Amino acid sequence: MMSLGPAMFYVFAAILVFFALSVIMSPNPVHSALYLVLTMISLAGVYFHLNAQFIAGVQLIVYAGAVMVLFVMVIMLFDIKQELRAFTKGLISGALKVASAAFVAGYLIGTFKDVSVGSQSASLAGNTDITKELALMLYSKYVLAFEVLGLLLLVVAVGAVAVSRVKGGTHAKH
Amino acid sequence: MSQLLPVVVLAIFVATFGLLLMFLASLFGAKGKKSATKLSSYECGVEVAASPTTKIPIKFYLTAILFILFDIEIIFMYPWALAYGDFIEAGLGIYISGAMAVFLAIFIFGLFWEIKSRALEWE
Amino acid sequence: MGSDIFEVSVNFLKMIVIFLMMVQLVPLLVWVERRGSAFIQNRLGPNRVGPLGLMQLLADAVKFLTKEEFVPAKGYRFLFYTAPVIALIPAALAFGAIPLSAPIRVEAFEWLGRNWGPYTFAFQSYEIGIGIVFVLGASSLAAYALLLAGYGSNNKYSLFGALRASAQTISYELALGLSLVGVLLLFNSFQFSEIVAQQAGPMSFQFLGKQVTVPFLPNWGFFYQPLGAVLLFTAFFAESNRLPFDLPEAEGELVAGYHTEYGGFKMNMFYIGEYGHMMVASALMTTFYFGGYTIYPWLTQESVSSWFSQFTPTQASLLTALVLHLVFMAKVLLFLWIFVWVRWTLPRFRYDQLMDLGWKTMLPWALGNTIVTAIVILIMRTNWSGQ
Repeated sequence: MMSLGPAMFYVFAAILVFFALSVIMSPNPVHSALYLVLTMISLAGVYFHLNAQFIAGVQLIVYAGAVMVLFVMVIMLFDIKQELRAFTKGLISGALKVASAAFVAGYLIGTFKDVSVGSQSASLAGNTDITKELALMLYSKYVLAFEVLGLLLLVVAVGAVAVSRVKGGTHAKH
Repeated sequence: MSQLLPVVVLAIFVATFGLLLMFLASLFGAKGKKSATKLSSYECGVEVAASPTTKIPIKFYLTAILFILFDIEIIFMYPWALAYGDFIEAGLGIYISGAMAVFLAIFIFGLFWEIKSRALEWE
Repeated sequence: MGSDIFEVSVNFLKMIVIFLMMVQLVPLLVWVERRGSAFIQNRLGPNRVGPLGLMQLLADAVKFLTKEEFVPAKGYRFLFYTAPVIALIPAALAFGAIPLSAPIRVEAFEWLGRNWGPYTFAFQSYEIGIGIVFVLGASSLAAYALLLAGYGSNNKYSLFGALRASAQTISYELALGLSLVGVLLLFNSFQFSEIVAQQAGPMSFQFLGKQVTVPFLPNWGFFYQPLGAVLLFTAFFAESNRLPFDLPEAEGELVAGYHTEYGGFKMNMFYIGEYGHMMVASALMTTFYFGGYTIYPWLTQESVSSWFSQFTPTQASLLTALVLHLVFMAKVLLFLWIFVWVRWTLPRFRYDQLMDLGWKTMLPWALGNTIVTAIVILIMRTNWSGQ
């Protein structure tokens, strides 16, 4: 029973790969978005088994619970029939697909080349302690990055408001 | 030992439970005749007027985006709050409060800017 | 889930029992809601079927079961059927992580020619190290049930209801998450059992680095975080789409919101989800602010277990856990009653008022609460004398 943790990790990883494949294979964009939600949830499971429990929780709250709600909302409410056709046909999108596939393949090969398998073993300390360790690192060693991140989020918020103000396209004044 | 296994088992059990309820309902449910009127979308008996996928106010998207940003900022306070007592005990109370004060100042500035710029107005 | 077959099966059973208990509470709550609303509005409410109308629940279940099943012609069949099932899961997962009573300690025993134990069973479906974060994450998935229902029905009222519901849910999740920071500052732990344990004794806190004890008050979080408690409870109302925040299903505008096209047991499952969220909310309020399953000075773990001193340790532990579970459920039911009470007392908000309350009132107040809590804790816990 002690080997259940690693086994669960591989189960979650397999589910993750399956859902991620479903995201790009599904012809219906709504289904794609919902598969992406499941991908995010299984990614949280993978994080959990890598002993990053707080990150797993954050993955659930931020990605599955916030970002994907926005995505699903947008995709459900747009009539995306035309956009769908524009995405699936045409020379530019075909070239983009080939390019991104090549990019991902290169990235994968690069990762496998550098990784030495089976050398790391995570220590099984208490979960709260791991999060406290994370806090210790975040607010001492990486405190500058933490503050800059606050600024970055502010800039994004301002940008989002500015973009929503643009009057043009279908929202042009009559 | 996996802490997550019971969660997965419970999720599967609950889903099975829900499917079973729906299966029972379809088994015992009345078998009425289906007609075009019965199967049409319910709009209080009036003829279906417009497609559901119409234009939606951009306010909803803006709200969702702003929510994500603030949510991330709040998440960053969790490890801080968790370790706050330890930091104080280690004599670093002033330091950790200062680090968060800067972050919170940016947060508060952002929030009040959103309110001031009327990005959160619903009329 | 356990080291041997006994532990695994007990853990599995208790998981199912807790879930079924949660489901069983729903019809009871519906009855309380209908009788309570009748009481508040000076009516009688359901009182014909069985004593006090309690059998009405059974009659309702039969009626739900015999409703005709159909999917609207324009709806998306798969998503339409998935949505009610998904509505059940987040509340059930969140409720499973909350301790409902003290853990049960089973001493080592011999059975079927084998030595078993000793075991400790937590009185909850599972223990997760990141308790609070897990509950928040699980309940944030509830938005998908609404979105799927709205989209699967392919009805404009359903879709608008789902849209409103999700925008409202996420707006109040900010105030919810932020008022929890106060709790975390106070207890410095994600684990519910740890939080309950810290509230067990008499009121005791550090005043300028010195320990102060107030013997006649319990050490409940509410005394340290009154504003946080009020904000959190209000945010829970919005999260569970209850009046006065039930705009997603405002009848005058949206027929019935996201479940316009649903009937029979599918509709009922949305109800189970909604009441499940209320139960999670009440259990969290009890755990964070009102001492969990203990009431100092009368009903603490020590005083209750001293009642059962003539039993064997295993029996005493089991009985103690059951008594403390009743204490916990009494507190939870009190909060559930407040949910019902408020529903029939306050009128519904307008949508702009709702959004204003979430973003411009509750979020700044929660921020203020966090800042004041942090400063007070800093001043009180710092050892100013310098060793």
